[in-house]
Amino acid sequence: MTRNSMAFWTGAAVFLAAVFVMTQVVGNQYPFFAGYVILQFIALAVAWSILGGYAGYVNFGTSAFYGVGVYSSVFLVKAFGAPLPLQILAAAAIGALMGLALGVLTLRMQGIFFSIATIALTIIIETAITNWRYVGGAAGIQIQRPPVTAPFENYVQMLFFVQALLVVLAVAISRYIQNSWIGRGLQALRDDELAAECTGVPTLRLRLLACVISGALLCAVGAPAAMYLQYADPGSAFNLNYSVTTLAMSLIGGTAHWSGPIIGAILLGTTQQLLTVTISSEVNVLVLGLMLVLFVVGAPQGIIGLVGRLRGKKEGGA
Amino acid sequence: MSKKVSKPRSISRRRLLATAGAALAATPLGVNLLRAQQGPIRIGMSMPQTGGLAGGGKASLLGIEIWRDDVNAKGGLLGGRKVELVVYDDKSSAAETPAIYSKLIDVDKVDLLFAPYATVPTAPIMPMVKQRGLLLMGNFSFQVNSKVGHDMWFNNAPWGPADSWASSFLDIGQKAGGKSMALLAADQEFAQNLAKTAREVAAQRKLPVVFDQAYPPSTVEFSSIIRALKATKPDIVYVASYPPDSTGILRAVNEIGIGDSVKVFGGGMVGLQFGAVMENMGSLLNGVVNYNTWLPEKSMYFDGTKEFFDKYTKRAVEAKIDPLGYYLAPFGYASGQMIEQAIGKVGSLDQKALAKYLRENTHKTIVGPIAFSADGERKETAVLQAQFRGVVDKNMEQFRSSGKQVILFPDSLKSGELVAPFEAARK
Repeated sequence: MTRNSMAFWTGAAVFLAAVFVMTQVVGNQYPFFAGYVILQFIALAVAWSILGGYAGYVNFGTSAFYGVGVYSSVFLVKAFGAPLPLQILAAAAIGALMGLALGVLTLRMQGIFFSIATIALTIIIETAITNWRYVGGAAGIQIQRPPVTAPFENYVQMLFFVQALLVVLAVAISRYIQNSWIGRGLQALRDDELAAECTGVPTLRLRLLACVISGALLCAVGAPAAMYLQYADPGSAFNLNYSVTTLAMSLIGGTAHWSGPIIGAILLGTTQQLLTVTISSEVNVLVLGLMLVLFVVGAPQGIIGLVGRLRGKKEGGA
Repeated sequence: MSKKVSKPRSISRRRLLATAGAALAATPLGVNLLRAQQGPIRIGMSMPQTGGLAGGGKASLLGIEIWRDDVNAKGGLLGGRKVELVVYDDKSSAAETPAIYSKLIDVDKVDLLFAPYATVPTAPIMPMVKQRGLLLMGNFSFQVNSKVGHDMWFNNAPWGPADSWASSFLDIGQKAGGKSMALLAADQEFAQNLAKTAREVAAQRKLPVVFDQAYPPSTVEFSSIIRALKATKPDIVYVASYPPDSTGILRAVNEIGIGDSVKVFGGGMVGLQFGAVMENMGSLLNGVVNYNTWLPEKSMYFDGTKEFFDKYTKRAVEAKIDPLGYYLAPFGYASGQMIEQAIGKVGSLDQKALAKYLRENTHKTIVGPIAFSADGERKETAVLQAQFRGVVDKNMEQFRSSGKQVILFPDSLKSGELVAPFEAARK
């Protein structure tokens, strides 16, 4: 193990231990409710970035994957009373298949055309779920949580911890990809797909792989949301907001490094949660919009890029 | 070496009092006692102020705010405690409300909870309030407690039993000689719930459903659907639609016609209650029999209703919301009135006692007397079915006078008779 890896895994272990201790010590429920949403967005942004950042395929279908995750849980709970780990695993499997399908269907599409296809995917799946009466259809469905498993005292605390695990998993995968031949291949693919193909990079395989991994993670992140809300309706589960917010988080953080989406998601997710309970009006939408504009103009490479540039300047000056 | 021996300390009276006082203040009971003397009564809620439900949410909130101001002008509750509202924007989304209500309960520690406007944002907080044993005043959500079964939930909406909505409309249609029904519903939560009960009621009454179609909420062009519907020659046309589609459907009906067979048309069209939509549609509304919650007919004025609308009309202009505000605002005010009466009778903020009082009594409000059944919905439906008559184009003020929407149901509030068939009533 390299020194870098040691540091990463120690950090992950400390993070999980801190989360666990928090669930055991903190009695107030609000941090878990708000924290769950922030963790969920971190995981979504990191998962999105595998395809959208490394491979440069801008996916507007985050809400499609997320919604399928939610509804696969709803279905499993309603049909078999499946436990949470099974819901997440099943959602990941479905997400992987969905990612593969997306990749195969959009073989010849690049750039903006790929993005439009992903929006279409969201609409198609949402329409299908809206007409599927078994999972509530357009009217939505209320679901009951099972009793909580020890050592957690409260279901939301457990969900908070589960989501933290998903974050670590997503980050670990994203980091592995970045540092391995897959990441280098994806980078070549992003810069120039034709040139990469000519120099022997298996672009098709890499692209499908990125679609599958990203899709599986996005779906898995959506799965616990059914239990978090105890309610699902197509309008909320497939809300385009998830796509836009996830994309914004990745871009604000920077997509060149695995830590970019994390920084973006923490920054934007926390701001959103804070604004909801402080300003709490149309103004909070405006603030988010302004933040996006500022970052796009001032730091097109995201925070990661900005930090890199400042560092570069310093070194150059010295 | 002498050891310093300290005298056994005797507790002075002053110290004893101080300690006891500090201990009292530190305990939750003490906090409550201290707060009771000067702190306000805080009512927490989320309300859609952005997103699709914002128009309704803002009007509803204004109704609640007018109640707050009235109560505080009268000197507050529980011997002079003012009422304070803690309101957050839930962006019309179900995903936002669990965190917001957790903040209200665990961090803000509000005394009472009101639900947000509409079903979707309310649904996720139902299990939460049930688990914690908290009273929740519902705000126009539809059958949100039927699966949860929380016994401290009270919905201010006049819906009543689930099937009453469809039954009242079908009653009117069948009395007018209707023998078959066509059903047109948006593929959307509220409309689908209405359509479901309509199918059930029709099946019970052996009323054949000759046309049953759901359309996606984004539909803008309805002429093909209306043509198909017209071809089945139904007697009763039950429409469950949302604001943009309600106008689209009426425009298509106006262009194509609906046929002479149709006795009544309407039932569950959302949007035809809002001032801006009504002004915009004008004479196209004539003849439509549609649900409503409050209308300026003589039978609808109760103690305080007129004063409420005087205040609302003034403040709606500043707040730039529905100038009429019939649909939601008076019910927001009524929620406050019910809580006010319950607190007054119980004499404390004990949630269980308040819920017991609300469940067992009939409450006087500006929208009439309200009594709840075991599931927290109205004992009897008070959803109005009213027919638009003599409406002219581009005139908002006409809707403030009586006679423009004649109430056909319920019987106790009736202000006129149905004009049928629909084509005759349109003229």
